[in-house]
Amino acid sequence: MLSMKNISKVYQTEKVQTHALRAFDLEVQEGEFIAVTGPSGSGKTTVLNIAGMLESFTGGDYMLDGVNVGSLSDNQRADLRNQKIGFIFQGFNLIPDLNLFENIEVPLRYRGIKSAERKRRIELCLEKVGLASRAKHLPQQLSGGQQQRVAIARALAGEPRFLLADEPTGNLDSLMARQVMELLEEINHEGSTIIMVTHDQELARRAPRNIQVVDGQLADFTLYQNKTMDALAAQAGQPAVEV
Amino acid sequence: MLVHYIDLSWRSLKRTPLVSFLMILAIAVGIGITMTSLSVYHMMSMDPIPQKSSQLFTLQLNTTDDGTTLWTEDNMPMQLTYKDAMRLHTAETPARKTASMRSGFTVHMNNQELKPFLSEARLTGRDFFPMFDRDFVFGSAWTLEQEQSSSPVVVINEELNDRLFGGENSVGKQVYLDDTAFRVVGVMKQWDIYTKYYDLNNGAFNSPEPMFIPITLVAPMQIASWGNNNGWKYEGISTFEGQLKSETFWLQFWVELSTAAQVRDYRAYLQAYLEEQGKLGRYTRAVPKFNIQNVNEWMEYNNVVSEDNKILVGLSFLFLAVCLANILGLLLGKFLTRAPEIGVRRALGASKRQIFLQHLVEVSLLGFLGGVLGIVVAQLGLWGIRSTSNDYNALATMDVNMLLAAPTIAISACIIAGLYPAWLVCRTQPAIYLKTQ
Amino acid sequence: MLEIKPIFNSLLRSKAGALMLLVQIALTTMIVSNASSIIFDRMEYLSQATGYPEAEIFSFSVMSFDKNLDLTQKFEETETMLRNIPGVKNAALFNAVPVSGSGSATGLGLQPASEGGQDARSAYYMADENALDTLGISLVEGRNIRPDEVIESQTREILPKIVLITKTLADELFPAGDALGQTIYFGDKPLEVIGITAKMMGPWLKDSRPDNVAIIPFVSASIFQKIIVRTEANQRTAIMRQIENLMLEDHNKRVITGLQGMDDEKQNYNAADTLMLRMLIVLIVLLLSVTALGIFGLTVFNINKRTKQIGTRRALGARKSSIISYFLVENVIICLTGTALGSISAILLGQGLLDLYSVPALNSLYIISTVLFIITISILSVLIPANKAANISPSIATRSI
Repeated sequence: MLSMKNISKVYQTEKVQTHALRAFDLEVQEGEFIAVTGPSGSGKTTVLNIAGMLESFTGGDYMLDGVNVGSLSDNQRADLRNQKIGFIFQGFNLIPDLNLFENIEVPLRYRGIKSAERKRRIELCLEKVGLASRAKHLPQQLSGGQQQRVAIARALAGEPRFLLADEPTGNLDSLMARQVMELLEEINHEGSTIIMVTHDQELARRAPRNIQVVDGQLADFTLYQNKTMDALAAQAGQPAVEV
Repeated sequence: MLVHYIDLSWRSLKRTPLVSFLMILAIAVGIGITMTSLSVYHMMSMDPIPQKSSQLFTLQLNTTDDGTTLWTEDNMPMQLTYKDAMRLHTAETPARKTASMRSGFTVHMNNQELKPFLSEARLTGRDFFPMFDRDFVFGSAWTLEQEQSSSPVVVINEELNDRLFGGENSVGKQVYLDDTAFRVVGVMKQWDIYTKYYDLNNGAFNSPEPMFIPITLVAPMQIASWGNNNGWKYEGISTFEGQLKSETFWLQFWVELSTAAQVRDYRAYLQAYLEEQGKLGRYTRAVPKFNIQNVNEWMEYNNVVSEDNKILVGLSFLFLAVCLANILGLLLGKFLTRAPEIGVRRALGASKRQIFLQHLVEVSLLGFLGGVLGIVVAQLGLWGIRSTSNDYNALATMDVNMLLAAPTIAISACIIAGLYPAWLVCRTQPAIYLKTQ
Repeated sequence: MLEIKPIFNSLLRSKAGALMLLVQIALTTMIVSNASSIIFDRMEYLSQATGYPEAEIFSFSVMSFDKNLDLTQKFEETETMLRNIPGVKNAALFNAVPVSGSGSATGLGLQPASEGGQDARSAYYMADENALDTLGISLVEGRNIRPDEVIESQTREILPKIVLITKTLADELFPAGDALGQTIYFGDKPLEVIGITAKMMGPWLKDSRPDNVAIIPFVSASIFQKIIVRTEANQRTAIMRQIENLMLEDHNKRVITGLQGMDDEKQNYNAADTLMLRMLIVLIVLLLSVTALGIFGLTVFNINKRTKQIGTRRALGARKSSIISYFLVENVIICLTGTALGSISAILLGQGLLDLYSVPALNSLYIISTVLFIITISILSVLIPANKAANISPSIATRSI
């Protein structure tokens, strides 16, 4: 349902041309959980940006859910992004002047969802990430892990088809990282397609499908297809850790 | 340390050139406008004779019937009648006193070389010169005997002396006023005052008269006043004699009283005088009423500083407040953006006081630059005023006080505006800003 | 769509910056409302008609220092000489010059002054039958003075018996409109109203009764005599240049001074008001500019500060128009609050000025137009930076800090 063919992205600055992506192909089926890894500067964030329509691409075709993204206007892309895609950023990107409730509300308002429905969804999502009691607090009053959970709640509230996560555990300690990862797996089980960029190899291994981006091109490693953490743990002979 | 802070401040200003420029511009414009109206106000309301202003008093005698309303707020006449002025002029007390009146003559030398021209003249007693601290370049005032005998003598100022006699010692020389020959007895030093405080009735900002002649010449030469003549009742005056005897107000009167005791004594004297005049049947008034006001009180009474000027000064300060609110907003933004850097400094050992001081120095620098630029703006404004109206040529200038006031007001205003942002910045916990977000 | 509630909440949380802008807007509203009221009042005053063909008239004073001169006779010759100058319509001796700030006034009453009764303050001109023509004023009722009715004398033994008055003065003394033929009293002297003139102003534009004027046919040539001359408009400058020489040729023991056209005379009289007007205009222009720049600067600043946030919003699906409207709404909230506060302050300031000084009462029209104007420039000042903000790429959201 997400199909990139021969995507190239060139940054032009004065005299220098930088090819961030060249001849990049990617096919994503519904319900997949993909980890995108690669060395720093390889272009993996660019892949995410293009997938989420945050950036335009220089060449190639991008079909999302049957829609040719290249032919869309800026407003149409914004609408599509709003309806189909949820973002989780490395830096959480919560708006500091808004409390948790209002932060999660932001994408819902852009969608035009009515007040009562917004309330329902936000309360549901806060519940899901375990922060319902702190709805009126400001982001500054939360720990890093909690802020990331709010960011996830924000991404979920829109009931997106795709979740795009950019280093979602990058700023968290290993305990919280595992919490977030479990949340993501749960969401994936419920039917969302997830593309996650990470430099953490361990985390990447938990995702059923791995992709490596090297020098702007794709190298597809499908290491651990369809294996869950339990299965891995059983293999290693250790109990699964509950967090 | 201060030099270090100034260095830091300068660098900080350079880092955000646009914002710094906007702030300096806002201060400059605010200060410029304020200083423009303040300078004019200052010049207008300045004490013109600070060494003596509380010892020189002018009189107002109410010689009208009870219930007469005049155009002044307290219904007091602005000038005196000839009878009263001359009576008080020749009285025994106080030691120094003078009646005063403005007139004018054609000045000529009765020859073909000098084209006759019109000149204002002031008629006074000889006490006028020591009372108002007038020094002489040549000669002196006329003698008591000359005054009492209504001798045609004249004191001229330096400018007139230059024009008529090429600046030489002209004592004893002759000059014609209208068709009468006068003898020069003294050349007075040029009198540079901004406000003609001794006669505010006829042009508060005109220059002093270039010629002075004895007041005792009014009657024999039948000299009419070039100032205001006001009457309060119909008298059917048709001759100059009648004018001299009438109740019309057309002369001024000044006395010098050095101590409070003298003031008291003179008040008693005037009280008695007015009661006596009332009994003579000149007017029906139950309680004699008179005003004695010193120089500054008289200027205030006459509203030398016009309403317009006061309104402008008020509005200017409000304008300055707007500029300050402007700067405050920008400062808040700028300082709070820098909070992470401050966090680092605090982590490295800077105390709250040092951070606070650093920021105050920065706003002071801003104020100083704005104040200096503000002087330029004010000079522009004052030039604009001078080019609109000749009246303001001397008034629309910045004297030393005003030049110093500009950066002082600017720096003070900026410090006040900067107190809150500076306090905000130094009181937040460094840790918050060291976290990433 | 408008996110009013969250914008409002977030403003309340970071009050200080918004508060400063609010204060600026409030003060600006307060100042500009009152200043524009004063400005319009002055402009009205300055543009009022005096009734005279100002461009055609000039005046000057003659100081005669010849003791032996028969002033009456000499000035008759002078008047004749002046009237014969080509380009001169008429000329006459006057005791005072209109709009010059210098002249004579008295109370003209329905009864002799010694008997009291109602009187009206009025300026008066003393001149001969050429007065009206020299001043360029027409009669609306009655007739002009006849030459034989003019008294030319150095003493006040014989006095004229008639007078011309302006319509304003006539209406004040005789509200029924029957002034013509009635007698009014100058002190104790009776004067019959033989003619009523169109509007003309006296020497003082700021008088309590500036257009109460009487013309009395009494000419007493004095050693300091004023003369008014009326010319063809395009000849005035040339004639003014020759006047001093012509007058000195006529008699050389004279000094000519105060030569000025009536329009310049009026300008001098009004110099202080003109100055005030200009300063106020400069003040409000600068004020509005400073406020506009303040809004602009603060918005640019806010946008820079919130770049990440804007990128995030775009990533979350905000259209460019939503970003622009975000800043517009934020600004309008501050603006409306500020102008509301400013309007109240404006009313208070207006009341204060009215009590302390002689300014007109503040008409709410000035407040309303000021508020509208400020809101407009406020929105315009925000639009440019907001537009730039909308162009912030959503990819900012994923860039590392």
